[in-house]
Amino acid sequence: MDTKNKFFNFFTFLMSLVPALVLITILAFVLFYAWPSIVFNGTTFFTSYIWNVGISSRPPVLVRGFLVPPNASFGALLFIESTLISSALAILIAFPVSFLVSLGVEMYLPARAKRPLVSLIELFAGIPSVVYGLWGIVVLEPLLLNTIEPWMRSNMYFIPGFSGEVLTGSGIIASGLILSLMIAPIITSVMVNSFDSAPKEIKQGLVSLGATKWELGKYLATNYSRSSTYGGALLGLGRALGETMAVLMVGGGIVNVLPSSIYSGINTMAAAIVAYLDSAIGQGTGINLSALAELSLFLMVISLAVNLLGRRIAGRGALRGVENDKL
Amino acid sequence: MINSDMHGSEIKWKRHSSRKAKDAAARLLGYLALGFMLAILISIFAYIIKGGAGAINWNILSTYGNTSEGGLLNGIIGTWELVGMGLLFSLIPGVFGAIYLTQAVSNRHISGAMRLFTDILTSVPSIVIGLFGYLVLVIRFNLGYSLVAGGLALGVMMLPYIMRITEMSFRNIQSEQIMNAYALGADHVNVATRILLPQASAGILSGILLSVSIAAGETAQLLYTASFNSAGLPSGLTHSPVGYLTYFVWNGINQPSAYAHNLAFISAMILIISVTVLIFISKYEDVVGRFLRRVFAPLGAVINRVFIESPPEQGVKGKSKGEKEWKK
Repeated sequence: MDTKNKFFNFFTFLMSLVPALVLITILAFVLFYAWPSIVFNGTTFFTSYIWNVGISSRPPVLVRGFLVPPNASFGALLFIESTLISSALAILIAFPVSFLVSLGVEMYLPARAKRPLVSLIELFAGIPSVVYGLWGIVVLEPLLLNTIEPWMRSNMYFIPGFSGEVLTGSGIIASGLILSLMIAPIITSVMVNSFDSAPKEIKQGLVSLGATKWELGKYLATNYSRSSTYGGALLGLGRALGETMAVLMVGGGIVNVLPSSIYSGINTMAAAIVAYLDSAIGQGTGINLSALAELSLFLMVISLAVNLLGRRIAGRGALRGVENDKL
Repeated sequence: MINSDMHGSEIKWKRHSSRKAKDAAARLLGYLALGFMLAILISIFAYIIKGGAGAINWNILSTYGNTSEGGLLNGIIGTWELVGMGLLFSLIPGVFGAIYLTQAVSNRHISGAMRLFTDILTSVPSIVIGLFGYLVLVIRFNLGYSLVAGGLALGVMMLPYIMRITEMSFRNIQSEQIMNAYALGADHVNVATRILLPQASAGILSGILLSVSIAAGETAQLLYTASFNSAGLPSGLTHSPVGYLTYFVWNGINQPSAYAHNLAFISAMILIISVTVLIFISKYEDVVGRFLRRVFAPLGAVINRVFIESPPEQGVKGKSKGEKEWKK
């Protein structure tokens, strides 16, 4: 090969390494900045829910080799719990809705309506998250505060966690609902694609054996497309875990108290990083910034892990399924 | 209607009616879920556009400002400057990286690993990129709150989308055509510039539009990399903060004044309309592609003449290798 080609190949090779290098750089730097906090906090980071930046007006004290403001302690339990609760609620809502939507689009509606409808559903994934936040504040929160949450409280009080006090519209329900809107298109696309890619023989065979469309859909979702079903849900969960602005705007931003009922406010990891970064920037000792870096690191690791798992499961499943025949 | 063409209508099983009822219920629920989602979509668009269109005026669109006074011009221009900067950083690695993954990797594990990294880069939470941008770009590399820092933070997020969509549209090109080109003595550069790039142009454009639509709506990466600038446009590439529309939405709705709320709604309206247009163009890329192909058709004729009538001399040595790589 001549020099031109060699150079071209080398250049394209370098370019194809960029994503990996960027990812490793981000991980390495976040770990580097998080290190003082990891050493300083130890396991209290995961067991305490008190996030106290300390008294910055007093001279810093030396703890485990790091200068920190007196009284500083960084427990992220509230943020972790908030993230998990809101994402779990989002999956609980989005998963059945997505399944029903993909069933309707794939099985019951005419084929030519499919592409426009799926595009419309996918539009949910493209709406900027601040716009969701704005809609959540203006439309969803008043609706929850005045109608839905009082109704839930008076009619569903026997369910644990449903009997608390309704204070503001923001919090777990608002975050869960908005996150479910953001992740429903992901789950729907994965499911529709997987229903589409199921072999004709399976679909026609089932129909010719007398299966109704519901039975066909149920069979595909639990057998042929099972891995896509799980994989899509995990990909949606991965998105929900890392979502920032919308849950910052409708989450309620509570501090140093764990949510007591389903009407409580929350403060997810991503929201907390945005909310506290501003004040951490001026901090002299830097431990505050480092604690936020530790929070970022943890958030990044779990959302990468969930996404990776989702991709593996959804990807592998495309080839499987025919031998799982149980009908 | 659905059931009658699936079951023989004379077979009356005992459970037949319950199965039929289940099917009808599933159908109803499917329609309801779809209707519910579409109703929410309409509600979001209606509220934002109603709030935005009711408050919009020329003065707001043509002056610089922040959420307490002035207009959004700094936000409108700043958003596109930042997105353009992000595209600048992500387009070349995205497209050329995809070329490498398409034509040069002989080891499936290596290309698989590269794809995996690209995929998981899309799942890094935006605020993590924002914090990284602040700690590393703004402070450590001393770029300050700036176009370059904000653009790099957006570029990190746009890169994987561009790379994956470009690679997918390369894969849609008939592999016989590429193999034929190699067999006729074309080298990697020829194949890339005369087959891959022209034929995948619609797909690449679709990837660019999609990534632009995502980047234009981002906030968390920009808060601590571009910060905010109410005085006007950034004066330089570094050490000069930039305004952007999503900041107006976030900050405006958190202010008590009606004026700030109006600005938030107008910004949200501009964002939601631009994003929708971009997404639909990128989704209906085949329609756009038909148009582009007409533009590139003369180029295609040239390519055919070059390959069929006079194969280039320089690539002859690479022939057998190229052929091997393109056989699956």
